[in-house]
Amino acid sequence: MERAVLASKGNPYEAFSEGQVFEHHWGRTLTDGDSTWFSTQTLSFNPLYFNEPYAQSLGHPKMVVNPMLVFNTAFGLSVEDLSEGGGLFLGVDDCEFLIPMHVGDTLTARSTVASKRISKSNKTAGIVTWITEGFNQRGEKTIEFKRTNFVRFKDPEAVLAGLES
Amino acid sequence: MSLTGNNNYFEDFKVGHVIEHARGKTMCENDNVGITMQVLNTADAHYNEDRVKDTFGKRLQFGGVTISMIIGMSMQDTGENALRELGLDKIRLKTSVFHGDTLYAYTEILDKTVVDQDSGEVRFKHWGVNQDKKIVFEGERRTLIKRKPV
Repeated sequence: MERAVLASKGNPYEAFSEGQVFEHHWGRTLTDGDSTWFSTQTLSFNPLYFNEPYAQSLGHPKMVVNPMLVFNTAFGLSVEDLSEGGGLFLGVDDCEFLIPMHVGDTLTARSTVASKRISKSNKTAGIVTWITEGFNQRGEKTIEFKRTNFVRFKDPEAVLAGLES
Repeated sequence: MSLTGNNNYFEDFKVGHVIEHARGKTMCENDNVGITMQVLNTADAHYNEDRVKDTFGKRLQFGGVTISMIIGMSMQDTGENALRELGLDKIRLKTSVFHGDTLYAYTEILDKTVVDQDSGEVRFKHWGVNQDKKIVFEGERRTLIKRKPV
């Protein structure tokens, strides 16, 4: 234990600059179990997400992945790069579900820093907005949204002093 | 036999109508920790109680779970006959949610537009409250919904 060096995760406010792009790790294949469990767990009762013949009757090859699961997974894949450094999740704007994903499709995600600013009321964290995009295995964009978070400063005194100078 | 209800087609939505959704849900580990891990959200404030004992006191529910739960609780009434979800906007998280909190969902129909002979777009405002009637989430959603079969 004494010899252990922390393999730290996440980025502070200072690490972000406008226009910076993050290609997020891992990707995730969204299975029929994922969509069904997520949909029933959240009471998301549209059988498109958990009844295959019903989805096929509406022209889909397989069950549709619940779009809220696509949103949450693109978000989840982005967390280590964007928000694991700490700070509350504030909101999302302009989320577009561009094309449906079907069970068995694989989601990957990337994000671009849209803006960052110091908050008047918060001395420990600034506000950062990113545009996150999700893609299927064919490289087609399936989702896009703008997310805003508080992101903790690494060195609050330096950031706030820079603001005053 | 129809697998979906017959009172939630495009024609059934009246602009300005506000719906109180019938079912609430008490948030548990399956909801927060389950979905947080399922979607690879690595932020351990959502699943490491020891880490947050001096800040939040207990594990903070991932906001994505709160959003999904409120929209989910509205789904039978507002999206059971949806062909596609189109988008979300103006999503705001107002109050932190913890295991044991109970959430309820409300929806207002903001506007609607015929798209073609089979479908129309409806824009909803959703909000969720906890057991103390404090708003935890609000946001808008656009959905493509089947038109009533003639």
